[in-house]
Amino acid sequence: MRLEKCWFCSSTVYPGHGIQFVRNDAKIFRFCRSKCHKNFKMKRNPRKVKWTKAFRRLHGKDMTQDSTFEFERKRNRPERYDRNVTMETLKAIKKIDKIRVAREARHHKMRMKGKKGIEQKAAERELEQGISLVKAPLALREESSLTLSKIKVKVSQPQAEYQMEE
Amino acid sequence: MAAFVASKWSKVGPPLLDNLRSSRLLEPFGKFQDIASPGWNGLLFQQLRTFIQMRTKLKVVDNSGAKWVRCIQALKGRKGARLGDTIIASVQEAQPRGKVKKGEVVYGVVVRAAMQRGRCDGSEIRFDDNAVVLVNKQGEPIGTRIFGPVPHELRRKKHLKILTLAEHIA
Repeated sequence: MRLEKCWFCSSTVYPGHGIQFVRNDAKIFRFCRSKCHKNFKMKRNPRKVKWTKAFRRLHGKDMTQDSTFEFERKRNRPERYDRNVTMETLKAIKKIDKIRVAREARHHKMRMKGKKGIEQKAAERELEQGISLVKAPLALREESSLTLSKIKVKVSQPQAEYQMEE
Repeated sequence: MAAFVASKWSKVGPPLLDNLRSSRLLEPFGKFQDIASPGWNGLLFQQLRTFIQMRTKLKVVDNSGAKWVRCIQALKGRKGARLGDTIIASVQEAQPRGKVKKGEVVYGVVVRAAMQRGRCDGSEIRFDDNAVVLVNKQGEPIGTRIFGPVPHELRRKKHLKILTLAEHIA
């Protein structure tokens, strides 16, 4: 029994799932579900479709180089069964999985590092541009109660320039 | 969050407000981006693959001499033949000095079918085209070579000779 990878989205294809397409040159395309199969039939490139693993790897969304991926590699030579080795492997799987998850979390954290500042700036910008939708600019300017007292002090200098312009 | 930004913004002052009104007010609504519709065309034009039935043309992928055959009878199944089934066909096109001639009625095993077929584990398999290997009435292949991939399901159908001759087994 072998767990194959979906050609389109790179997820694991478990036995009895999905469909496989055999091209005339005997290249086998395995798909995990009809969604991936349909996308293949539509001749979409998995590198350009955002939800696939290929896209995420290409655009630095996911961790790409890591020693934990080495364990999942496809090996063509079958391992001779040894009870002790199997026992140890089963134990190691849990440990390796834990490490991988932690590293992925760290990668995600690093990736999201500057996001808060960017969001803050975008929100500020939006408010600056759209305040007129909340309150008419004329009303804002005329009514002194709407503006903070702190501003009144600051206003003096630019106001002089404003008058001069007129 | 919004309140915090608002307090920050209010420090800017009225002159900026004037600028806002004059220049930036209408800008966000100015551009309208055209949202391209996703390509559904590929799905709509997908041909529905079906059984190998009477008048289906099949490619012959052995060196028996025939190039194309036309199915005239599926030996099993009410709707038609599928991957691995045996059919009766008439030779449509043949090479000059082959073992079979044009117009001959032959038996053949469907080794590739564009319609998907369930496998023993529940998954499915489909091929690029409809292809056939000519056999005699006893089920032994007429040719001595077979081209392209063949499915391993032929083993269950007891076409071991075809499997041994095949280049690839999918």
